[in-house]
Amino acid sequence: PPGPGGVPVPRAGLKKYILPPDYSGITFPEKPKLKFMDKVPAVPKVRREPRRLRDIRGPSREATDFTQGQYGILAVGGGYLHWGHFEMIRLTIGRCMDPKTMFAIWRVPAPYKPVTRKSLGHRMGGGKGPIDHYVTAVKSGRLVVEVGGRCEFEEVKPFLTQVAQKLPFPAVPVSRQSLQQMRQEEEEKRLNNQNPWTFERIVTANMLGMRKYLSPYDLRLKGRYWGKFFLKHRV
Amino acid sequence: APAAKMAALSGGGAPWRRGWVPVLQLVRRGSKAVTRHWKAMHFQRQKLMAVTEYLAPRPAVPPRCLAPRRETREEDEGYARLLRRQVEQLFRASRMVAVCQYNSMPDEDVVLMRQYLRKHNIEVKFVLNEIVRPVLSQSKYKNLLPLFVARNILLVSPETRVKEMLRVLKGVPQVNLLGACIDDTILSKQGVESFAKLPTLEVSQGQTVGALTLLPSQTSSLLQRGPAHLAALLDQHIQQLRAGGTGGPAEPPPAQS
Repeated sequence: PPGPGGVPVPRAGLKKYILPPDYSGITFPEKPKLKFMDKVPAVPKVRREPRRLRDIRGPSREATDFTQGQYGILAVGGGYLHWGHFEMIRLTIGRCMDPKTMFAIWRVPAPYKPVTRKSLGHRMGGGKGPIDHYVTAVKSGRLVVEVGGRCEFEEVKPFLTQVAQKLPFPAVPVSRQSLQQMRQEEEEKRLNNQNPWTFERIVTANMLGMRKYLSPYDLRLKGRYWGKFFLKHRV
Repeated sequence: APAAKMAALSGGGAPWRRGWVPVLQLVRRGSKAVTRHWKAMHFQRQKLMAVTEYLAPRPAVPPRCLAPRRETREEDEGYARLLRRQVEQLFRASRMVAVCQYNSMPDEDVVLMRQYLRKHNIEVKFVLNEIVRPVLSQSKYKNLLPLFVARNILLVSPETRVKEMLRVLKGVPQVNLLGACIDDTILSKQGVESFAKLPTLEVSQGQTVGALTLLPSQTSSLLQRGPAHLAALLDQHIQQLRAGGTGGPAEPPPAQS
């Protein structure tokens, strides 16, 4: 109520007692900090592999949901993580988290895919170059690291955003609720789309011979993916 | 004729007839499917992407024309309910409820004031407006609502000892009486002061009894007025006779009964 002069008089009301958050169902792994990932796998590959860029393309099938932790970094595009990225993630998270109350786990394997490079300054030809380094392929929709423990999302978000911005693909920090919310919103968007013409419908029926200009993979990707990019605003 | 057919596919059959063109003509130009840069889309594909964009639903009435929905918060209901019940019991149990404005006092002064009022069986209660207001608005004490604005305290008592209360409050400048509800009668500050000046219940009862019995008490004297007057006159005559002696005894006229 406004007091003399029309200015509202500040007053203290009833104190509201909120219950502290319940951290009962959380199991800590043996080592709370992130494990060190090798640059080269224990058994280095002898045979050089073809470039198989299809391991970047499209949605991820593995590591899409949370296992132990409550918060994590979700990849919103595809890309390769090499040892430098792993070290950056490990050190940043190790520096910013409190090992007594929080823990972190990897959701991507150590680099396993060999990438070859030819030496600088040579012309084309002369065979495939030797193996230079190893990388891990990450598809969009995959979790990179998971963080959990007796902490809230707001405590973890700053350093997770810091890490997510440094990754070679677009990434966002998520919690269990925010991931569920994202998926629900996507579903709602798909259902209340007022446009009667959807990519999926046109491709499956091959309307106007569109499949001449599209890839057979577009039947599965449904216009949401283009190369390694994930188009968030589609459908 | 055989030269027209491809030499390697001499064993082929139906598809490799003369003039057959494959349905899909794959164009081996440009980069691979997955590139680091944003690969340029075929124009037909661009058109397809433009046609199949998301269209958001538009409700018939825009949401900002509708009144905002106030979500009813049920937080902390239990504690507030308890306090409200306590206030209700207080109003029911006490005969006198005085509402005073409370300005911040040193703690020891608060304790002293409480002590003095306790001696007169008056309790001091600190109440929160947000609890008292709904309680009052639903009970019969609606006219006390304007008093519960800023910080205030309630002085409750099962008896009505207003004079002592006023005396204590006079000694405490930080607590100002705003109003009171005594025996289901709402009084303002002046009303309370005049109530204090009133005599106590016993005295006023005695006064009423006295006023009522005034007339009946005069009845006996009224009835005896005639004979008393006669007796007085006779006495006077006797005295005159005694005093007069030889003087002509003036017979007093017979008294009119």
